[in-house]
Amino acid sequence: MPLLELDGLSRRFGALLAVDTVDLRVETGEIRAIIGPNGAGKSTLFNLITSVVKPTAGRVRFANEDITGLPVQEVAQKGIARTFQLCHLFPALSARENVRIAAQARDQGRWRFFGGDAVLRRSAEQADAALQRLGLERHADALAGTLGHGDQRLLEVAMALAQRPRLLLLDEPTQGLSVKETDHTVDILKSMLADRDLSMILVEHDMEVVFRLADFVTVLHRGRVLADGPPAVVKESAQVRSAYLGEFA
Amino acid sequence: MDFLGFAATQCLNALSQASVLFFIACGLTLIFGIMRVINFAHGVIFMLGAYVGYTASAVSGSFLLSLVVAPIVVGIVGMVFERVFLHRLYRRRDPGAYLMVTFGLAVVVSEAIRLIWGTQPLGTGIPDFLRGIVLVLGQPFPLYRLFLIALGISAAVAIWQFLDRTRAGLLIRAVSQNAEMVQALGTDIDLVRTGVFGFGCALAALGGALAAPLVTAFLGMGTTVVIDAFVVVIVGGMGSFLGSIIGSVLIAFVQVVGAYYFQELALAFMYLLMLAVLVVRPGGLLGKEE
Amino acid sequence: MNWKHGFIGAALLCALLPFALPQYMLTIVVEALIFGLLAMSLDLMVGYCRLYSFGHAAAYGLGAYACGMLLKHFALPLPIGILLAVAITVVIAIPIAWICTRSTGVSFAMLTLAFAQLGYAMLYRFKEITGGSDGIDGIPRPPGPFNIAWFESKLGYYYLVLFCLLGSYLLCRAIVRSPFGTVLAAIRENEVKARSLGYNTRRYKLATVVLAYGFGALAGALYAPFAGFASPELFFWLTSGRVLIMVVVGGAGTLVGPILGGGAFLILENELSQLTDSWPLIFGTIFIAFVMFAPQGIWGLITGRFGRSAIAASAARTEEAPDAAA
Repeated sequence: MPLLELDGLSRRFGALLAVDTVDLRVETGEIRAIIGPNGAGKSTLFNLITSVVKPTAGRVRFANEDITGLPVQEVAQKGIARTFQLCHLFPALSARENVRIAAQARDQGRWRFFGGDAVLRRSAEQADAALQRLGLERHADALAGTLGHGDQRLLEVAMALAQRPRLLLLDEPTQGLSVKETDHTVDILKSMLADRDLSMILVEHDMEVVFRLADFVTVLHRGRVLADGPPAVVKESAQVRSAYLGEFA
Repeated sequence: MDFLGFAATQCLNALSQASVLFFIACGLTLIFGIMRVINFAHGVIFMLGAYVGYTASAVSGSFLLSLVVAPIVVGIVGMVFERVFLHRLYRRRDPGAYLMVTFGLAVVVSEAIRLIWGTQPLGTGIPDFLRGIVLVLGQPFPLYRLFLIALGISAAVAIWQFLDRTRAGLLIRAVSQNAEMVQALGTDIDLVRTGVFGFGCALAALGGALAAPLVTAFLGMGTTVVIDAFVVVIVGGMGSFLGSIIGSVLIAFVQVVGAYYFQELALAFMYLLMLAVLVVRPGGLLGKEE
Repeated sequence: MNWKHGFIGAALLCALLPFALPQYMLTIVVEALIFGLLAMSLDLMVGYCRLYSFGHAAAYGLGAYACGMLLKHFALPLPIGILLAVAITVVIAIPIAWICTRSTGVSFAMLTLAFAQLGYAMLYRFKEITGGSDGIDGIPRPPGPFNIAWFESKLGYYYLVLFCLLGSYLLCRAIVRSPFGTVLAAIRENEVKARSLGYNTRRYKLATVVLAYGFGALAGALYAPFAGFASPELFFWLTSGRVLIMVVVGGAGTLVGPILGGGAFLILENELSQLTDSWPLIFGTIFIAFVMFAPQGIWGLITGRFGRSAIAASAARTEEAPDAAA
């Protein structure tokens, strides 16, 4: 049974069909990359999965449950975590607090007014662990807004990790990163997969990253799925080539 | 026959109220379109217009002159305020700051009015040449209200043409759609903002000066009116000029109908209406959102 | 300096204050404490959650009128009257909060204002019960907790109010540092992100508003038997304005700042009103100056060296790195 199923998912914005009858299946433990020229509908697809935007047609199923149209926070509670294209953090809070809030999100005690010390301690421990995992411990007390771009992106990943998700959606995680930072991120993502029951969907422009990480690649073009398969196969596809080159012609 | 006449006068009544509302709401929506700021002080600006208008007409003896003086004076006050205070807040991305500052302005102006003009309501009444009754389908109707309607329609048309046909109007529409782009093309955005803010205030002041003979200038006339104007802008769409016209007419009709059928709730009616609008459409109907 | 030391020191200072002041000042100081409590209640909304309210007077007015009516018509003991008044206000606050939190920003502020204005209008509409523009007169000051008659005296009442203020402060501080409170900070910083992490931000905001109304009602309920009357002025937008000014100038997001701000303003207001009639003008101007140049408020400025208050950090953030958050 696939972890995530998209059935005929569509989203229309006025005259523009941003996502056009997309079918997708992602299995547990899989890394899927979604690639495509700009404007192909990749971010909209993420928004549809996480319910930031409601589909005009089609359904989203997660772990065999129909989650179409659920409120954003409930989708997150089901175990889907996501990073954003433009880094979304809590800038005036410390890096540690950022991750701690993320860790606290699925804790039963997050509503406590009093007697919440255990909750705070628990989530702080998880936060420290996540920060260490990503090599960010030295920044733990710095305000998130003051970190460099690369560290901010990593912090966002740390936050997503702290949510203990079953499905992680990463929207262009290596955008704007140096070669060294990109390598670092890829290594971390690979290691995350190694020891947990996690699936990942990556929106990426960097083909090297795609080939290093992905088990399967889905190509989107003008909202539709153009090709779907292992990276090597997709790479050779003439259709895909022309879609990309066509954009630059 | 009787009913038709009655209905006609009630409609005209609503239209005259819509006129006054339009002057305030139009200013509010234009300011929002350009600056993404809801000018909380707009109600107090309206009140200032009423008081300045009163003084102008009491001193000069000419009502028409007050209709010219009030907008100009208050418009200038508005521009000064924008230059000195709001201007500095643009780089801050905190919308709360605008809210606070315009609120502070509301308090200060409110208090200044009280100090200058005192606590007693002031009114010179309707000027002689506009006093009088007109027969509409056999029913009497105040001439002054017809005057309001005429002025409101002329202003709406004039502003519409201004926005649609003149270069300045085009500039304003461009800035409200994409300020950065216009700035990149070399226009001084700041000047446009100051100008529009002043214009918006002038319009509200005109509304105040027009309303004064009817309701007298009194302290507190600003608070009710700012909520009314806000409802109009929400209903019509924040930033939409056309919306401010439609919204004013709609809200005025609701007010008139409400005052007639729900007499006792009259005071509360406006607030209930606003609650209803915001509950149904928390983000606004047409036009640009915050 | 440890927080606990500061708190105990302040409490002691306040406890000894009545003996250092002339008798006539005691009335003002009691009102100052009440206003401090009111300001702190608004800080929960404004400072910790960035929910700007123009209608917090409603909480104050509701608490005052409820307590006044209960004490006058049902001859209840003081603590029961106060607690019931707070409970009634909290119950009324829930649907109000539910409606208001459907919107954000200006719409939220306008809604809070509308509710306060609605309350004001209702007072006039039901003037048989509420006394209309005259308000409720002759509210008794029944013997305080455990029927001790000493609390009826001004001095006794002072300690009652002080106790409520200190207790409320401790409660609010605990709330703000609890898991619930940390989520408020996250919502303030980036509500979209908080939601995408899995927090039902609407519910948190709703709870914050209700809490704020609760503590605000406590202030009102303490005021009514002290002053002996409750008038519609309590609901007026300028009253809401004063509280908001106190919070921002005192230091939003610090709890302490607004208490000091509220207290200081009330005292200043009293002194100033003997000199000039236009204290709102002065306060309004000071308010604008603080919003523009010192958004962290007085307390935020003072404690700037030891730790940043919520608003200060945000204000700094928006000026330093406008592209850090989408």
